[in-house]
Amino acid sequence: MQPLRIALAQIAPRLGLFDENLATHREMLAEARRQGAGLVVFPELGLTGYLLQDLAAEVAIRLDDPRLASLAAATRDLSAVVSFVEESADHRLFIAAALLEDGAVRHVHRKLFLPTYGLFDERRFFAAGDVLRATASRLGVGVGIAICEDFWHLPVAQLLALDGAQVLINVSSSPGRDLAATNEVGLGTATSWRTLMRTYAQLTTSFVVFCNRVGVDESISFWGGSEVIAPTGESLFRAPLYDEGLFTVDVSLADVRRERIGLPLLRDERPELNLRELARIVAERAGMAPDSTAEPGAEPGLDVTPAEDLGPPIGFRPRPVPPARPLRPAKQAKQARRTRQ
Amino acid sequence: MSDALAPRATRAGSESLFELPPELAIDTDVARRVIGEFIRGQLRQAGFERAVLGLSGGIDSGLVAYLVAEAIGPDRVLCVLMPYRTSSPESRADAEAIVRRLETANEVVDISPMVDGFFGPDSDASSLRRGNFAARMRMAVLYDRSVTWGGLVVGTSNKTESLIGYTTIFGDAACAFNPIGDLYKSQVRQLAAAIGVPEQVIRKAPSADLWPGQTDEDEAGFTYPELDRLLYWRIDKRRSIDEVVALGFDRALVERVDRMVASSEFKRQVPPIAKLGPRTAGVDYLYPRRRPGSARK
Repeated sequence: MQPLRIALAQIAPRLGLFDENLATHREMLAEARRQGAGLVVFPELGLTGYLLQDLAAEVAIRLDDPRLASLAAATRDLSAVVSFVEESADHRLFIAAALLEDGAVRHVHRKLFLPTYGLFDERRFFAAGDVLRATASRLGVGVGIAICEDFWHLPVAQLLALDGAQVLINVSSSPGRDLAATNEVGLGTATSWRTLMRTYAQLTTSFVVFCNRVGVDESISFWGGSEVIAPTGESLFRAPLYDEGLFTVDVSLADVRRERIGLPLLRDERPELNLRELARIVAERAGMAPDSTAEPGAEPGLDVTPAEDLGPPIGFRPRPVPPARPLRPAKQAKQARRTRQ
Repeated sequence: MSDALAPRATRAGSESLFELPPELAIDTDVARRVIGEFIRGQLRQAGFERAVLGLSGGIDSGLVAYLVAEAIGPDRVLCVLMPYRTSSPESRADAEAIVRRLETANEVVDISPMVDGFFGPDSDASSLRRGNFAARMRMAVLYDRSVTWGGLVVGTSNKTESLIGYTTIFGDAACAFNPIGDLYKSQVRQLAAAIGVPEQVIRKAPSADLWPGQTDEDEAGFTYPELDRLLYWRIDKRRSIDEVVALGFDRALVERVDRMVASSEFKRQVPPIAKLGPRTAGVDYLYPRRRPGSARK
């Protein structure tokens, strides 16, 4: 198998300026082609910038937008992943990433997990995708696309690999934070990402390709550090933190076969087991079935009866409460005491 | 030479300069990089190439001068020294030393006539009123120089004083953007040592210089390393009052600092607008302040 040259376009998109960002994408694509790349990856919302708020509706495009088609037209004999705000026919706005190949839009992934906590507010402005699919590609391997927070949820990498992906591509706009000197690279966010990406590569025996943006939107700075990780979990290339640029790395896709023969984790996965247990857990969490693994007296969502004298929840002052009903039926409480004696 | 100070060497060598609680130590290389990009990004997105800041001779504005000069070059930075007649001459000398070292543009504006013109020279106005008024006169001067110099006003408040409300609203807290507002005082000192701010500026007792001999720590009754640690565990690490007391903090201090943080919430936020119409700025009209068309032409 020919080595594949992957180009990571670690760019700093301009917030809300679609046409400027489109021009940057064209230049980077052309440069990647000159450098012999077969796969070019751009970051999450590379065509629009990240912190859009009410601008999201103003920069949203339909999948038949001529500007997306023009970008696709620049991908003859190339694969590229680009990201933008997609507006559906029923006017929902999604954070989307498209695989462009040989002049066409081959596959679109809509971000599944929209962080809405801490410094994030995505659910306010966007709809969450409902579909996760690997896709075939001209690279001769299956490709799975995920967007930023999608990788902070365990099933995503496994589902993509089980669905046939051998290359997992994550496009991100990850804001850097936590500069504590104790971090591996002086940045808590980078340390966390590197840990989880190595884990996914190793456990799915797949390549992980990570493209994260740089630059500044309002208060937040994006840290770059785009990376390619082999199916062994070994990091093959790390782009510098905070530097804008087009970075290339050569990989041998034959490494997937080697690793999967030597370490047949994927062969040994038990998706039917996942399915069975998940079906049970989903029903129990929805209250459609009793929680079959909980101790008697445990509160919903907890398998264990709370220890007595747990104290008030953190951050709340204790309030005088009327004498509470015992959490367990009296008979069981007596039994428990006997057990301790 | 400041450039010769490697971050690690600085940290070791700075132990005598100031106390840095270990949990607050940051990677100063990453901090300088992020702050540099932040400063350049803020200016570019607003259509500006220059910056202006008030330089008191203290460590906060001193550090900001160094950071802005490093980010955009000293020739694009205007440092305005704005002493009042009772301001300490040492502060003035330290500010002048920084300007000489950095080779930024500079200007001295004596604000005494502005303050005394309002209160009258023999006024018995409290030092609080005079201090706040002086801070707002300095703000007015900086925003005027923002026009004549053609630069954005850079903020110099640190995270500690902002959280406990030790700032003047629309005075020293007023700015176009703030590169050090998420750094505790101890971290300001660490970064100042790494970037080469003169030692005497790092070493001297922090003071708002509102009256002769005033120091922050005397006035507040706690030391910055202690206060920084407390704020870090309470706010950044979300520890409860009982949990920080278990860490060794005095309960009376914890409760007092909690009250200072809560009672100064208004200083850290944009004033609320009465919601009446269909879309209201800051409520349900939410745009990034730097958006297409927002840059000065």
